Amino acid sequence: MKHFINLNFLSLISRETQRFLALYKQTVMPGLITTALYILVFGKALGSRIGPISADGNKIDYIHYIVPGLIMMAVINNAYQNSSSSMMQAKFLKFLDDILITPLSGVEIAFGYIVGGILRGTITGISILIMCYFIAPGFEIYNYFTTFLYIVLVSWTFSSIGVIVGVFAKSWDHIGVFTTFIFMPLTMLGGVFWSVEWLPYPWGLISKFNPVYWMVNGLRYSMLNVLDQDFSTQMSLAICLLFCVLFSTIASYLISIGYRIKS
Amino acid sequence: MIEKTAIKIKNLKKIYDNKFEALKGIDLKIPKGSFYGLLGPNGAGKTTTIGAISGLVNYKIGTIDVLGYDNKRDFRIARKLIGLSPQELNFDVFFPIRKVLEFQAGYYGYSPKDSKERADMMLNQFGLEEKQNNSCRELSGGMKRRLQIAKALIHDPEILILDEPTAGVDIELRYMLWDFLKKINQQGKTILLTTHYIEEAEKLCDKIAIIDNGKIIVDDNTESLKEKNGISNISIECDRPAKDFNFDNLDYTVNDKIISINTKQPTKNLPTILKILTELNLSIVNIELKKSNLEQVFLKLTKK
Repeated sequence: MKHFINLNFLSLISRETQRFLALYKQTVMPGLITTALYILVFGKALGSRIGPISADGNKIDYIHYIVPGLIMMAVINNAYQNSSSSMMQAKFLKFLDDILITPLSGVEIAFGYIVGGILRGTITGISILIMCYFIAPGFEIYNYFTTFLYIVLVSWTFSSIGVIVGVFAKSWDHIGVFTTFIFMPLTMLGGVFWSVEWLPYPWGLISKFNPVYWMVNGLRYSMLNVLDQDFSTQMSLAICLLFCVLFSTIASYLISIGYRIKS
Repeated sequence: MIEKTAIKIKNLKKIYDNKFEALKGIDLKIPKGSFYGLLGPNGAGKTTTIGAISGLVNYKIGTIDVLGYDNKRDFRIARKLIGLSPQELNFDVFFPIRKVLEFQAGYYGYSPKDSKERADMMLNQFGLEEKQNNSCRELSGGMKRRLQIAKALIHDPEILILDEPTAGVDIELRYMLWDFLKKINQQGKTILLTTHYIEEAEKLCDKIAIIDNGKIIVDDNTESLKEKNGISNISIECDRPAKDFNFDNLDYTVNDKIISINTKQPTKNLPTILKILTELNLSIVNIELKKSNLEQVFLKLTKK
């Protein structure tokens, strides 16, 4: 720990943060615009026909019901994209070597990239949340702390996955494959637009094996105080924490041994 | 105790997953303050050796000490002591070159204020001030090479490792770089240079190691290396035919008035040759001494 928070490590975080802030039109803005469109199309246009959702004894407007899922979708996408593309670019253009020769350890390098992704995911998530106050007014956040905690933990998980994929990737296709074939289906089937309780047996049960379900519903509970039947916030937080630790450990290990980044 | 060896490599082996043995037990001692040349044909193991020293190549067998610090166990200290300018130009294209230098200084532990000062110093030293707000992509080839060396020196390392620093640069910049490197070497920096320009190594390096097929085949002072392994030619033109000239232990030919002698030790042999010519009453019209150069030695030792 003595070595972990040092100027070397902070410089890498600073570089990672300045990179996505300098490219905000390509990094933060698309998440905001896409979410605003989802809210306008699904929330306002279709939501008025769907009517209020009865959940956990409360009635909630559909437009508000989908906000946590949409935030989670953007957070997952941004955190993953940030670390995977940054790692891939550094590898591809070989300036990763400039970092590998410095006194930074493998764990510090991994966390430098992971923290960059966490910051982008969190900034995007909070920006969307603020935007939703204006375009979908009428909701109050139930628990600010756990709302923030879920955004950070999910950013952390997917940023770590991004570093792992960035290390493994041999082309840009590999980065895109994960988004298209894994994250997008998991997110869409994780209850962004509906409650998995609405699905017929066995799909509702199967959906509960989807980790994104626990993330979306954890955030939904924190924001709206809405719980699915059988949903446990402790279990949800435990899953998020487990994934954070698991994937950041794998990312740190891969960079420490120099997998595909050293000869 | 003051450490006199900048880099000490013991039995360094690098075996890739496909069982290819790139380094077959390298032993090297690079003295502190020296200008050391590591030469070898393509694929001999120069870049692998440099990579192992600087932390870009993993190795399981052997040890590398940098000014007494093991570069695996004490990697934080060892890496601060080394600056690397790799053969391939590599730049962070997202930021202007000033930021690139500032970040690089930061990775070595400089505070933001000190990083700015170091970046200013490097931009000034390498004549890149006017381009400080440009991206690396907007620089000419020569400027990119200068920036590469500036990055390697940003943290003021004790040891500078240069892998083909003058590859693809024009003559003017090459001379400028040579002068600069000589200057910083005289100021105390140890320099490890790999180059395909043997003339460059001959001009700059006081010690040379030649690596071939993953092994160090020779490691010596530059002059001594040439003397031991090179053949010099002494051509003497006499005032009349030198048919009576005879020197048993030397490789020589006589062509009318011209005696052509091939020798490893021209300075040692020359007095004896002159003595024989005097005894034969031959007057010398002209003497030409063609000393062996490092390129000939290199070609001979690497059998190319």
